[in-house]
Amino acid sequence: MYKYILESAGNINWMALFALLTFMFVFIVSAILIFTKNKKTIQHISHLPLVNEEDLNIENRK
Amino acid sequence: MSNLETFKYDDKIVRNFAIATSLWGVVGMLVGLLAALQMVWPVLNFSAETSFGRIRPLHTNAVIFAFVGNGIFMGVYYSLQRLLKARMYSDFLSKFNFWGWQTIILLAAVSLPLGITSAHEYAELEWPIDILIALVWVAFGINMFGTILKRRESHLYVAIWFYIATWVTVTVLHIFNNLELPVSLVKSIPVFAGVQDALIQWWYGHNAVAFFLTTPYLGLMYYFLPKAANRPVYSYKLSIIHFWGLIFIYIWAGPHHLLYTSLPDWAQSLGTVFSIMLIAPSWGGMLNGLLTLRGAWDRVRQDPILKFMVVAISAYGMATLEGPLLSIKSINAISHYTDWTVAHVHVGTLGWNGMMTFGILYWIIPRLYNTKLHSVKMANAHFWIATLGTIFYVIPLYWAGWTQSLMWKQFEPDGLLTYGNFLETVTQIIPMYMLRALGGAIYVAGVFMMVYNLWKTTRKGKVSDPEVSAPPKEKIVSGKGEYWHKWIEKRPVQMLVAATVLVMIGGLVEIFPMIIIDKNVPKIESVTPYTPLELEGRDIYIAEGCLGCHSQMIRPFRSEAERYGDFSKSGEFIYDRPFLWGSKRTGPDIHRVGNKYPDSWHYNHMLDPNSMSPGSIMPAYPWLFKRKINTKYTAKKIRTLQILNTPYPENYADIAVKDLELQAKQITANLESQGIEQENLEDKQIIALIAYLQRLGTDATPQIFVEEK
Ligand code: HEC
Repeated sequence: MYKYILESAGNINWMALFALLTFMFVFIVSAILIFTKNKKTIQHISHLPLVNEEDLNIENRK
Repeated sequence: MSNLETFKYDDKIVRNFAIATSLWGVVGMLVGLLAALQMVWPVLNFSAETSFGRIRPLHTNAVIFAFVGNGIFMGVYYSLQRLLKARMYSDFLSKFNFWGWQTIILLAAVSLPLGITSAHEYAELEWPIDILIALVWVAFGINMFGTILKRRESHLYVAIWFYIATWVTVTVLHIFNNLELPVSLVKSIPVFAGVQDALIQWWYGHNAVAFFLTTPYLGLMYYFLPKAANRPVYSYKLSIIHFWGLIFIYIWAGPHHLLYTSLPDWAQSLGTVFSIMLIAPSWGGMLNGLLTLRGAWDRVRQDPILKFMVVAISAYGMATLEGPLLSIKSINAISHYTDWTVAHVHVGTLGWNGMMTFGILYWIIPRLYNTKLHSVKMANAHFWIATLGTIFYVIPLYWAGWTQSLMWKQFEPDGLLTYGNFLETVTQIIPMYMLRALGGAIYVAGVFMMVYNLWKTTRKGKVSDPEVSAPPKEKIVSGKGEYWHKWIEKRPVQMLVAATVLVMIGGLVEIFPMIIIDKNVPKIESVTPYTPLELEGRDIYIAEGCLGCHSQMIRPFRSEAERYGDFSKSGEFIYDRPFLWGSKRTGPDIHRVGNKYPDSWHYNHMLDPNSMSPGSIMPAYPWLFKRKINTKYTAKKIRTLQILNTPYPENYADIAVKDLELQAKQITANLESQGIEQENLEDKQIIALIAYLQRLGTDATPQIFVEEK
């Protein structure tokens, strides 16, 4: 199947190669960056949508 | 406490966009329904302004840019303010964004039915509207970046990354695909011709799907799904990988719309490879969405909002698996030009965009009006109706696509096509078209229910801009080892630059070689520019939207050579501005229809298709027999084409109209000799159209095909 897909993709030349390499580069860099990231920060960011108006409102906080 | 800053969110703008989303949704889908019915009952082509060819772009533009477009702004304006803990940068820009966008939509709703179109699919609007779009889009960008810069939260949530990428890419796409020279206020000529025009158009068309229908909605998913489920996204790390993977790969995949066409092989291969790679980030994103709900499925069963979102995300998954499969050449050979593609995009639009929008509307409207949803029961009913409508829409169309494609390719043992008459393959699938229209009607009925439900909700609510307080943004302190990530993630400008660079790499690597390397388009010496009359005929073809049903691109298959003639060569299109390859064959390919029939056949066929092809679903075009050819801009068109290196003789523009009249007389005489009688026939539009149709594909024959070495 794999071979079949590649074959039907035809003559992969330097364009495709260049694209693949840039892609790998971007992908690996972003993967490294994200996996070396501080756990607490990630926790904080991923909870950003859950902050509600009420949490930000002084009246309610008192 | 003293360092808290108090401010108000601007929710009025969100409300406005929400209302616009609902209203344009209804309008856009009703127009779609009309188009679907016209494919079954051609009498529903009431007039020039409502005929299928003009209605179809109205439908696509309305649902993409009016319905989904307003939906994007609604979601972005709501979530951006909250994620950044800041009011929008400028109230004026917000208003300009809103009213500007609605003006564009109105102009589209008027100009498209009038036949004012650039023929580039999903970019049909003519140049003055293009400029307005650019202005409004830039205003939106400034407003968004202004807000980002004055934010009180130092971290940018991933949804905002998606918004930024959307803005950058749409800007680039819009500019490149609309490079054109104006001829009049309502007519322009694209800078690129033929194959190059096609490549840029589909690089655009594909990425309009990617960066208008997908990335902004993924941003909305990453905000509103956690909101509705009241839990953070399953894996934030995965969402980052999803983001970079998606925006980078998407930009390359455009040529998969042009497989087996005259596009050079290397560009086609690139499209295939990247399309297949797209499965990875797309499914990563889908799983991330669905897994967010792990352990909360009992709530999904009760909450219509979550139900809508789950089905939307599943539809996203299905469409993004199917898309890459359709990009494999052997599958594309079957699917292209058929209703399979139409079914595929409606999984995406009805399923992903539609359902996600409904879910967000049901969530956001009660909050914007400080009240509860009028009827949860009705929303649940809407969910089932929408699902049923989608199923009734897509399944018959898949069936229609497969059936028709197999019929096109079927041969008898003696080597003749089994269905030599194209029309037979059309009448076969009319029942499927009926079911599709039924599915569409069901879906629209659900939308009406939603509008009623939401309207009732707003009646009992009251509006106010919520006032909140938050501390100002803290100073950035980098932890050890995370310097670079912070550098990107905390600085929107770097983010913008990085996204732009990525997107441009993909675009430029594909397009630049096409434009500068001449050898990609082998010249054919016998191909000459259109005569003025043919040129006007071609513009009528464009205005009537014939390309919504007819392709002009014969692929190199035996079944197509047998049916339509020798396959199309890229060199045949060098004077085609814009290219008119089309993307759907509701009618047969007509690239080589020239000289196939006598002029009188076309005359009768255009007046009443049924007279020549009984049972045809092609609309009749009686107005072409009354309206005069507009020669006011003929000379200007010739001059503009000359600027773009079309080799007309020097000063030819001065005698162009004379030439046009001469050729029109010849055709009229021809028609008379074939028994056609009509007064003052020679200045009617039908003559120009016949001139164009009879010219099609007659320039090139295989013998004089010269490959450049
Ligand atoms: C709703 C889709 C639709 C639209 C729009 C449409 N056509 Fe057609 N056309 C068809 C179908 C279906 C056929 C095949 C049956 C027939 O001959 O009428 C056809 C056939 C034709 C043929 C005959 C081709 C052949 O090889 O036999 C020509 C020429 C043609 N159309 C020209 C046009 C032109 C010009 C326009 C625009 C003014 C147009 N069509 C718009 C559906 C359409």
